[in-house]
Amino acid sequence: MKSILSKIGKYVFNIIMIMFSITCIFPVIWILYSSLKTKDEFMLDIISLPARPRLDNYYHAFVEGKMYTYFISSIFNSFTTVFLVILIAFCIGYVLSRYRFKGRNFIYTLFIAGMLIPVYALIVPLFVQFKVLGLYDRFFTLVIPYIAIRLPLAIFLFESFIKTVPVELDEAAYMDGASTFFTMSRIILPVCKPVLSTILILAFLDTWNEFPFALVLVTKEIYRTIPVGLTNFYGQYTTDYTTLMAAMVLSILPVIIVYLLFNKKIIQGMTAGAVKG
Amino acid sequence: MNHANSLKIKNSTLLSLLAPGLAIYLFVIIVPLFTALGYSLTNWMGGLDKTFIGLENYAALVKDEIFWSSLRNNLLIVLLTVIIQMGLAFLLTVLFMSKAMKLKEVHRTVIFLPVVLSAVVVGFIWQMIYSNDYGLLNAILKSLGLENLISPWLDDPDQVIFSVTVPLIWQYLGVPLIIFMSAVQGIPKDIYEVCELDGVGGIKKAVFITFPLIYDTIKVAIMLSISSNMLVFSHIYVMTGGGPGTSSMVLAQYAYNTSFNSMQLGYGSSIAIGIFIISFGIIIIFKKLAEVKQE
Repeated sequence: MKSILSKIGKYVFNIIMIMFSITCIFPVIWILYSSLKTKDEFMLDIISLPARPRLDNYYHAFVEGKMYTYFISSIFNSFTTVFLVILIAFCIGYVLSRYRFKGRNFIYTLFIAGMLIPVYALIVPLFVQFKVLGLYDRFFTLVIPYIAIRLPLAIFLFESFIKTVPVELDEAAYMDGASTFFTMSRIILPVCKPVLSTILILAFLDTWNEFPFALVLVTKEIYRTIPVGLTNFYGQYTTDYTTLMAAMVLSILPVIIVYLLFNKKIIQGMTAGAVKG
Repeated sequence: MNHANSLKIKNSTLLSLLAPGLAIYLFVIIVPLFTALGYSLTNWMGGLDKTFIGLENYAALVKDEIFWSSLRNNLLIVLLTVIIQMGLAFLLTVLFMSKAMKLKEVHRTVIFLPVVLSAVVVGFIWQMIYSNDYGLLNAILKSLGLENLISPWLDDPDQVIFSVTVPLIWQYLGVPLIIFMSAVQGIPKDIYEVCELDGVGGIKKAVFITFPLIYDTIKVAIMLSISSNMLVFSHIYVMTGGGPGTSSMVLAQYAYNTSFNSMQLGYGSSIAIGIFIISFGIIIIFKKLAEVKQE
């Protein structure tokens, strides 16, 4: 009797858990299937599934709503940022973990402190600085702050990973007459692959999603990224919910694909960064 | 790296590896900190007139009711998040430890998914959920026959701050969850085995063993939550813009409005410095009170 009860208990417990998870994800699913409905269909019944799924809203959003320009801009910003963050953070992470020099600890602390500094409180002075120096509203504008705010976590992850790589590897390379640059790029970088992919994914997600800097530092239509584009879009299509939903789905699709492919890495990297920061 | 190694590097190489990163980092993060201080002492409106006015902006800030009500909203969001989100995350962590639970990976993947979405999209999703005429929430309430609960979620000044907090709790529930779960993995298994032998129940185990053993981690998660919620901006910007009136105004939104809508860059800078000092202050006080140990 008791075992039957505990079996039923287990079922009920699992059903409750499943219902909880579905509730958690339902807002996203709702947007997904509603974006396939016509506007009238949606207004008639907000919850129902589409009678005949259609991609019209996607066409409206992507072509007529000019989502494609925001996509180009977001792709440019994300890719450039990710590439440069990895390049710069690897150089610094390598130096900090391999060499003792004057100021080493100061530089390390300076970067790590960046994980605590409320960067977005600095948006006003940064805006002024960019305006004064003529860096405002240019194609490369956003890449500058994006690199800077991704550096602390990336440096932290590289530094702590390279520390675990035996230094004999470098020593052997130097013994054979390899240059610092060669050792870094050919010997150490390949070993760093696991942490490199974590940094790559996290930097991509953060850059793709970033909003406040993109809102404040650029105004030209062609430099606007997807999040800012969406807020613009909303201004034009306020009552056209289904088109807006299609635009939103388009903007989160790359993120969701990356997440489904690499969720273990993402969770790992975020835990490491969070506990340190 | 504790042992000395024989690696040598030329000063010029060292410098060339460090310089680009340092330069960009100082330019974006450290320099604005000081220029903000400078601007906050002026009456600058973005034009040519930039007169030094000493601490006048700060004197005005202390008396600025919107500033304090925004701070109150930030603190309310922090409080609600800490209680509800951390509580829920702890409960889930305990449930995840139970052998009876199936599909753990799936649940974790699903609960964590909103974390990677952009704040703007989350803001829009919830705006659509809350919408008066075409909102999901009111539609669900109606279909359940709960018409009396239907309400203008984002238009009612008395409840809007609660309405805008729910999406924040929802989106970032996965963060404390994964932090707690990784802490729980560090607890030796034999502690629980001994408990089971002694017949200690699930709730007792959670309260008297799991909770105290991951207490330090919980504090770190709370600190993270404080620092991110003190600066919450995008969600509010998208959902309400701080309205109706200033009933859902938060500090970052207020700094934004002041600086970019009314172009009071001097005063906006003093708000930014105010946010900076207050959020750092709160974190330091919390660290002291809770004796947060971080490596």
